[in-house]
Amino acid sequence: MSQSPTPTMPSLATQSLGMSYGTRQVIDGLDITLPSGQVTAIVGPNGCGKSTLLAGLARLHKPDSGAVLLDGADIQRLPTRQLATQLALLPQEAVAPEGLTVTELIRFGRQPHQGWLRQWSAEDQRVVQHALAAAGLEQLADRPIDALSGGQRQRAWIAMTIAQQTPLLLLDEPTSALDLGHQIEVFELVKHLAHHGRTVVMVLHDLASACRYADHLIAMREGQIIAAGAPATVVTPDLVRMLYQVECTLLTDPDTGSPLLANVRRSPAPA
Amino acid sequence: MNSLMKTTPIKSSPMPFSSEDQFRADGNNNVPPPQGYWRFAWRSGHGANSLLFEQRAVVVNLGLFSALLLASVIYLSLGSVKVAPMAVLQALFGNADMMASFVVQELRMPRLAAAASTGAAFALAGILMQTLARNRLATPGIIGIDNGATAFAVASIVGLGVSIAPPAMALAGATTAAVLTFGLAAGNGTQGYRFIVAGIGVGAVFGAITQLMLARVAIDTANAAYPWTVGSLNARPSGALQLLMLGLTLGLATAMALARSLTLLCFKDATASGLGVNVKRRRVEVLLLSVALTGLAVAVAGPVGMVGLIGPEIARSLSSSRSVPILAATLAGALVMVLADLAGRTLLAPIEIPVGIVTAVVGGPWLLWILMRPQRSFT
Repeated sequence: MSQSPTPTMPSLATQSLGMSYGTRQVIDGLDITLPSGQVTAIVGPNGCGKSTLLAGLARLHKPDSGAVLLDGADIQRLPTRQLATQLALLPQEAVAPEGLTVTELIRFGRQPHQGWLRQWSAEDQRVVQHALAAAGLEQLADRPIDALSGGQRQRAWIAMTIAQQTPLLLLDEPTSALDLGHQIEVFELVKHLAHHGRTVVMVLHDLASACRYADHLIAMREGQIIAAGAPATVVTPDLVRMLYQVECTLLTDPDTGSPLLANVRRSPAPA
Repeated sequence: MNSLMKTTPIKSSPMPFSSEDQFRADGNNNVPPPQGYWRFAWRSGHGANSLLFEQRAVVVNLGLFSALLLASVIYLSLGSVKVAPMAVLQALFGNADMMASFVVQELRMPRLAAAASTGAAFALAGILMQTLARNRLATPGIIGIDNGATAFAVASIVGLGVSIAPPAMALAGATTAAVLTFGLAAGNGTQGYRFIVAGIGVGAVFGAITQLMLARVAIDTANAAYPWTVGSLNARPSGALQLLMLGLTLGLATAMALARSLTLLCFKDATASGLGVNVKRRRVEVLLLSVALTGLAVAVAGPVGMVGLIGPEIARSLSSSRSVPILAATLAGALVMVLADLAGRTLLAPIEIPVGIVTAVVGGPWLLWILMRPQRSFT
């Protein structure tokens, strides 16, 4: 951590959270705490409830039971606008109205801070410029979103959440449609944001990226948390087998010390 | 450019979370506005205030307003008795001869007011519903709300034999149709085809009910109710116009107040919600507004739903995609209706073509053009 965050950081946690999708109970009685100022990755096989959990954390879906707590207060009781100054969300496959430019998109991030008689403040101007710079998009400021590469587009969306100036940032599969180079662009930006005082939570389907870029890993299976902690300590061949029914050999990245999955293969059918 | 961007190092700069006050102190007036906007700033007891106006929107709105004024003067001047444009202006300010004053103030002015208000209300209702459904075809006219309002209004004239105020009946009908449409599309929300198909079905049923009622009553009664079914400004129930003008004023003010979050409704729900819009509540508000405006307008002119399609389309073709052109659509709707009624009154004089037929003749091809031209935004 190169720099400590300026104000006290709000904490996000769940308390025996239960959520369903339609009539199907997806997660039940989940208690998690998301470490402040770190990148948390939620991983698990398809249908394990990780996206539902993120939707609950972002208050997109209402829980059946339990609560999501922001600084100890139930987020269901917070006004939508106030929540938007604390918590930013980048949904999966976000789409912008056609023709919108990068700067125009980023300006929408100021929405929760603006009002009737405060439509464009000095602060808005400064923060939008800052967000452009932080995401390395200054050269592309006036480009339409649809004319960008996948990685640039995703960085523009993240820049919008930067302009929202929230201490918490939730990302749903931010790299799912990107090639390796573009994935790295996005992950490095996310890492950078955490180092500057944001708490980042992202849902990932790729365990290798989670090992490399997350400070904290939450592994889910069938709506339950089966492991949580630093990737180097919680990722084991046993965990990988429980999550994905595959065998692997675990190595340590010589440069970063993070776990590396090698020789991944199908588990032999149980006898 | 692509490869250059990848190698651009990410700049590190501190990220303050709450430093608004220190920034309010320095030059609120010197903040550059976003490209394409005018910014007005001043200071009050609440601190630094600022307003933004999109330059293009200001120009478009002023242009549409001027065109509406011009069309209104022509509307007041043409007809079976011609009044010169200068005499129209004199009559409006009360110093013309008796005849011109009578024609302009007593005969044509109320009808002009009805044309402009209904056009504005239909177009405003249209753009609200389109925004709500994220679909350019989802106007109240297409999803059956006009027909519901008409059926109820006709029922109050022919079926019940008692004169329940048409605006109240039209509002009840619009609400009924909306409830049915949304009920039948349940589960799929306002997105997707199911909602539109349900609306078309509901509209067809109400259209048939209207026809059935007209077929079963005495021919004189049917004649009296006929204008409702095609849309005409010739048979305005008393009091309905005043109610519409009140509703339009309140509705336009509300829609303008919601304009900023309406723009966010063009994004996915999750994005809008993440930016602080209470999406569910906003949807209900916008829906109620659209249904109420449609009911009030149908009470005055019958179902002239095409205006709800044409007005927003004109506004959108003139405006940028940065915001939902609420005011421009409203002005364009009023303009279209005034021109359509002017054409209906004068083209085949002394025979009058109901305004609903004029807008359908223009609106039909327009609809085909929308369907056939390559999709732009707002799909």
